[in-house]
Amino acid sequence: MNNYKLQRLLGTDTLLPYWLLLPSFLYLLVFFMSPLVNAIGLAFRTDNGVFTMQYFLQLFHDLNFGSALKYTFLLVAIIVPVQLVTALVIALLVNTGFKGSRFFLYICTIPLGIADLAAGLIWLSIFAQHGYLNSALYSLGVINKLIYFISYHNISFVFWAIVIAEHWRATAIVLVNLVAGLQMISKDYLEAAEVLGARPWQRLRYVILPLLKPAIQSALIIRTILAIQMFAVVIALGGQLVPVLAGESYFWYSLYRSYHMAATYAVLLMALSIIITWFYMWFFRPKAGMVER
Amino acid sequence: MKKWIVVLLLIAGASVLVFGAPKITWLSTQFRPIEEAQWVRQTLLPPFTQDTGVDVTFIGSEYAPFVDRLLAEAKAGKGTIDVVAGLQGDFADTFSAMSDVSDIAVGGTISPGIMKLGQMGAIQAYIPMMQATYLMAVNKKALAYLPEGADIWSLTYDQLLAWAKNIYDKTGEQKLGIPAGPGSLLARFIHGYLYPAFTGYQVIKFDSPEAVTMWKFMKELWQYVNPAAPTWDSMDTPLLSGDVWIAWDHTARLKQAFVEQLDDFIAIPSPAGPAGRGFITVMAGLGIPKTSPNREDAAKLIKYLTSPAAQVAILQGVGFFPVAEEAAGAVPSGALQILAKGVTAQASSPDAIASFIPGGIGNEYKKIYTDTFTKFVIQGKLVDIQYLLDQGRALREMYLKAGVSYPAPDNK
Repeated sequence: MNNYKLQRLLGTDTLLPYWLLLPSFLYLLVFFMSPLVNAIGLAFRTDNGVFTMQYFLQLFHDLNFGSALKYTFLLVAIIVPVQLVTALVIALLVNTGFKGSRFFLYICTIPLGIADLAAGLIWLSIFAQHGYLNSALYSLGVINKLIYFISYHNISFVFWAIVIAEHWRATAIVLVNLVAGLQMISKDYLEAAEVLGARPWQRLRYVILPLLKPAIQSALIIRTILAIQMFAVVIALGGQLVPVLAGESYFWYSLYRSYHMAATYAVLLMALSIIITWFYMWFFRPKAGMVER
Repeated sequence: MKKWIVVLLLIAGASVLVFGAPKITWLSTQFRPIEEAQWVRQTLLPPFTQDTGVDVTFIGSEYAPFVDRLLAEAKAGKGTIDVVAGLQGDFADTFSAMSDVSDIAVGGTISPGIMKLGQMGAIQAYIPMMQATYLMAVNKKALAYLPEGADIWSLTYDQLLAWAKNIYDKTGEQKLGIPAGPGSLLARFIHGYLYPAFTGYQVIKFDSPEAVTMWKFMKELWQYVNPAAPTWDSMDTPLLSGDVWIAWDHTARLKQAFVEQLDDFIAIPSPAGPAGRGFITVMAGLGIPKTSPNREDAAKLIKYLTSPAAQVAILQGVGFFPVAEEAAGAVPSGALQILAKGVTAQASSPDAIASFIPGGIGNEYKKIYTDTFTKFVIQGKLVDIQYLLDQGRALREMYLKAGVSYPAPDNK
């Protein structure tokens, strides 16, 4: 097919854009698509290349699968909404432009610069047997024997410690999305609402939140997908006490050296991420009669 | 003209090499890292060359070329390698090329139990040279709570339970420590220590009545283990902080406690169960290929490397422990001496059952042991024989699929 026909086919009068895109496309193909396809293949094919579901069967019978699924969902279900509310409160506060609000915003986003494993270790040093919490309680005379906060007798404590650590670490991700979204809302709308007699709560509910929807949507998608994949904080705080899907994938690879099982968990995670993204897109779809910016 | 001079020089040089000092070639999968190879050439071998006049060419080799070379020389019937050093797994794969070394004199006393590990097929395939293992470290404070009649150099698991219980009753603290974190060596404790001690085997009796007894015992013992154990990968920190008075772990992960607080700890053998004192030995040994050109001098090297002086040098150089009993006493005082005493005591105890780490089946087998542990001990479920049977079947299938035989002590 000569150049002219190709151009007619693509509806363009020059092939230059495609040539310019070609290197990026090849790069993505080699370093992104090819490993992705191979990894998915690992979950469905044996070493001999035979298609099989045995790894998924093994997954469902795995000792930790049930708990991993449960804890992953629980963590996401609790952390994401709480973070959304916290981030919204902070964003609204910062948006009032009080003296020092920029500095306050910078402080709130500091955890963004910390690797999640480091964040987990920071909180471990608080809750560990000889950690800050125990030392503080001991020196205040509240306890006279160190408490084993992180122990298999106290799984629910470990769970809530993970919630707290994640909340501390990742609220900033949601926050920056919401702050950016808030700043895009023209002050005219709010002034008009105020003039028309809307009280602060009504302004929030009927003006700010609807206009913030795109920012909330993108923040939720990002945060939820990251939350489903969370494992560094979980492992740092509790080892294998609170199993999560990504953690199990990691242990299958690093401890038991089974690439197939690790890939199987990873494929499950990928499927869950896709389903949740679709759900968000459906939930936040533009409804008839709403003004779209 | 110039060309002839070069050729003459080459011939002169070659003849010096050929007719010079007796030389043997030592092929080894051990001491491969550059620092260790340097140490072998500069520290370990010179006293031998000085003593016997025999020059040794040390060649460090990766596992695959090691196997290939030995098998090829055996097939050709003519070899260049005089003596080899390798792990037990390396000898298992090159066993057909090895000669019987049961007639070789060793430089120190090696207990029959250890010597037996070098036997493969009908011959002594290698002479054990050095070992790595896991044992127990005890804080001297715990000795006050030792039950009547218990000797720390030959404890039983029942005595260990009574000891830990005594500490708990008198002090209210759980001072026993077994590392159970994700990066810990718990799997080794279960398959290499508990199973042989209670059932006599690693795999064969995975789901036997003795195994049920063992799991019930572990559930009871776990009450006296520090609750933070599932977060520990290594026992040196809990020992140093005083959270644990009796700990089990690999020598390398206990060493720091001895280095920092030398006077507070002693290293003792792991306990014995109803079937014996099960323990893992990562054993490296010395063998002589059938095609060795210089068997006499190779034997001299083996004698030297198993002598107490060389054994101590190896411990100080690479941290592998001696197999010669005299060596433990010859180690200069310090952390290594205390550890060496415990290692030797464990290896030469009369009821010792030495296990090898399973090879050739990947790492998934560890999950079978640790999942069983998690289910019965950490989650506290009742010991379910059906679960043991299912896990046992899965475990045996792994060996079957890989075509690998069970490791010691199962393959007696």
